[in-house]
Amino acid sequence: MTAGRTLRALPTLWRIGVAESLAYRAEFLVWILTTTQPLIMLGLWTSVARLQPFAQYSSADFVAYFLAALIVRQLTGNWVAWQMSEDIRSGAMAMRLLRPIHPFVAYAASHAAAIPFRTIIAVPVAVILLVGSGSSALTSDPLRIALVLPSIALAWLITFALLFAIGALAFFLTQTMAIANLYFALYSLFSGYLMPLELLGPVAKLARWLPFRFMLSAPVELMTRTQHRDDLVRLLGGQLAWAAITLAGALVLWHRGVRRFEAVGG
Amino acid sequence: MIRILRLFALQFRVSAAAAMAYRANFLAEGAMSAAWTVLNLVPLIVVFGQRDEIAPGWDRPSALIVMGYFTGVHAVIEGTISPSLQDLVEKIRSGAFDYVLLKPVDAQAMISASRYQPWRVFDLLAAVAIVVYALIQRGEWPSAADLALGLVLFGAGVLATYALWMVCAAASFWVVRLDNLMFLLGSIFDVARWPVQVFHGVWRTVFTFVIPVAVMTTAPAMALLGRLEATWTLATVAGSLALLALSRVIWRTAIRSYTSASS
Amino acid sequence: MISARDLTKHFRVHRRPPGFASALRSLVHRRYEDVKAVDGVSFTIERGERVGFLGPNGAGKTTTLKMLSGLLHPTSGEVSVEGHVPFRRQASFLGKITLVMGQKSQLIWDLPPAETYALNRAVFDVPGDRFERTLAELTELLELGPLLDKPTRQLSLGERMKCELAAALLHQPTTLFLDEPTIGLDVAMQVAIRDFVRSYNQRHEATVLLTSHYMDDVVALCPRIIVIDHGKLIHDGDLRQLIKTRDPDKRVSFTLTRPIGDDELARLGALLVRDGQRITLRVAEREVPGVIGRLLGELGAADLAIEDPPLEDVLRAMFGEQRRAEAEAEAEAKAKAKADTEADAS
Repeated sequence: MTAGRTLRALPTLWRIGVAESLAYRAEFLVWILTTTQPLIMLGLWTSVARLQPFAQYSSADFVAYFLAALIVRQLTGNWVAWQMSEDIRSGAMAMRLLRPIHPFVAYAASHAAAIPFRTIIAVPVAVILLVGSGSSALTSDPLRIALVLPSIALAWLITFALLFAIGALAFFLTQTMAIANLYFALYSLFSGYLMPLELLGPVAKLARWLPFRFMLSAPVELMTRTQHRDDLVRLLGGQLAWAAITLAGALVLWHRGVRRFEAVGG
Repeated sequence: MIRILRLFALQFRVSAAAAMAYRANFLAEGAMSAAWTVLNLVPLIVVFGQRDEIAPGWDRPSALIVMGYFTGVHAVIEGTISPSLQDLVEKIRSGAFDYVLLKPVDAQAMISASRYQPWRVFDLLAAVAIVVYALIQRGEWPSAADLALGLVLFGAGVLATYALWMVCAAASFWVVRLDNLMFLLGSIFDVARWPVQVFHGVWRTVFTFVIPVAVMTTAPAMALLGRLEATWTLATVAGSLALLALSRVIWRTAIRSYTSASS
Repeated sequence: MISARDLTKHFRVHRRPPGFASALRSLVHRRYEDVKAVDGVSFTIERGERVGFLGPNGAGKTTTLKMLSGLLHPTSGEVSVEGHVPFRRQASFLGKITLVMGQKSQLIWDLPPAETYALNRAVFDVPGDRFERTLAELTELLELGPLLDKPTRQLSLGERMKCELAAALLHQPTTLFLDEPTIGLDVAMQVAIRDFVRSYNQRHEATVLLTSHYMDDVVALCPRIIVIDHGKLIHDGDLRQLIKTRDPDKRVSFTLTRPIGDDELARLGALLVRDGQRITLRVAEREVPGVIGRLLGELGAADLAIEDPPLEDVLRAMFGEQRRAEAEAEAEAKAKAKADTEADAS
């Protein structure tokens, strides 16, 4: 599995990923709708903050926050853990292991390929709404604006690596659904998906260090709040650090899992 | 009819046997559902940290009651509705659904309560605990009539939820990969943890009439609190029955399509 | 009794060529094609018969079985099984039939077959004592003893198939539809299942319809075969009769003990196989005695064998004919269309 061959294979992997995501029309539509929970949360919180701001968040602030969260969620959401456990169960994983492309790359390529098509409707609309309405809550610092995309890319990587690790757990446990559910519950709370992290009160301090923050809240914070320059460093530095940690952890877990898989005979 | 009930009982026994077969999983499941219940309470705690009411007339105890109903309905969903319908989706995918059609029992009855997660009964107990705690906090206990109504509407809420899930499961006859749809349902159902009055305008209309998730939990809670007018009670029950009828129609259409009866 | 008259089934299939552009296009516009899976098939089967359905992949055998068992609505035509209209799937009808699909399982995966049996018993409302007796009979015939308490996923393919058969017969149906029941099984297991089916048919006078890719299944089990290709019924009758009418020549095989010239061999019959010293010739039936005489006498051949042509060869020839006929018809139609457009243009 040389790097050169991997790079050369990427365009084809990407194209097939696109074909896969287009294969089922209805499912495609459902995926667009699935990650719209921020809109529901938005309904709740704007209602709560209707008459007076809630912990310095006005209705407009909430609108900006949840639209930004929706955009980031749409761009970083993936289902690789589910896909991996299915592949292991069905035997397709054995086939993947025989190919000269590392499955991490293969899965990543097909997920990345799906992004433009999954987000083609929701994201542009959300971006327009965001820029149009909640503009008072958005940042205008050009440096931060420039860092938004790299931040989202890092968020995607951390999310992918973490879910890949959970998927690799399927090598060890027969049913990983419970763990995936727990992950999602923790993610919802600590990533800022349910509500801005600051609102969590005493728990917010803990949340600032957990990886979940860097999977969603970090890019959203870049987009919406004002921060000092050194906070920027901590934000991106944290993303880079967690990206490295989750990537390393995922690959180690993967290797252990594959060895076990081969020993047991698949 | 009795045969169908006996079938449910047998399927429960069979599922319980399967659940016991994976003992390590039970611990994991128990831990997960405990964690989930706790995590659910966080937004509530956060909001009531700053406010006395989440919406006009909904103070902390009343919101907690809605939460309790939400936990209860969720327990039934995870306890039998979701596992059974996932089994259905799997059967359709593998083709083994043909065997269901070949049995002399109504196919919908066969697949509706075919699988169980027996441990979810603890979630149900947690739901009762939450409601009881909220009533204690409130300091006022419901009358016998309100209690009865609260239970009846819980049943109606469960039936409405079942109907909604059934409609989605029926869609898997046409749409091959359906796990996302169930996930979507789950995240929409999430809204039901809040009283529907929290939402305004379009949202409130949607969650009352289009996807009546909030009514599944808000209406029973209001009944228990003695706040539900008679007309709304009737409307809720009628709505549940209508949803049930709709799900039956959609199911039959799905079967006819599967057997190409319409072509 | 099973009767089918002009049974027809059309499917609408979505066609999508590969490539990125057509992937995008298929999002908004889909092209459908009408496929005739079964095209005007008619036959009558009496109670207690064992009938084999043969045909290449995609010929329409499984579709026909599905229409007979009620899983599919025919597009047109009439079908009746034991006095019922199958697609109405009445409870009394379902209690009389059973369908076993070799590629799909009805056993609950994580639990022992015994649990599936209990479920089926409840579903078919089989009285306790009758159930026990049937189960005992099936356990004995299929040697299920040690298998009943192991989870299905721990059974081998052959063991699973035996348990599937038992699950399908617990309600003592009188008509058996078997769709590839021996697929993927080893030879010993195939024989065991064939023997079981034959004995069940004889004991209970149950009608058996079998589809299989394994010729041996059909030859061993079914005196009557129905051949389906491209949805059309191209033969219905006695197996040996089919072989006789299609390919009346015999196959004569022998081992050479001393060399023979090619032209001398050609005078005996048409050369089919030459494997070292082992030779197989095709010889017309009336010439067989003469050829044998020559082989045993002056030519001194050893290990002589005279056989009917294998069913596979007969069928392959039949399907080949069918395909050639259709290809010719298609070519003719295309040529005509081209001529018409040229005539219009000029």
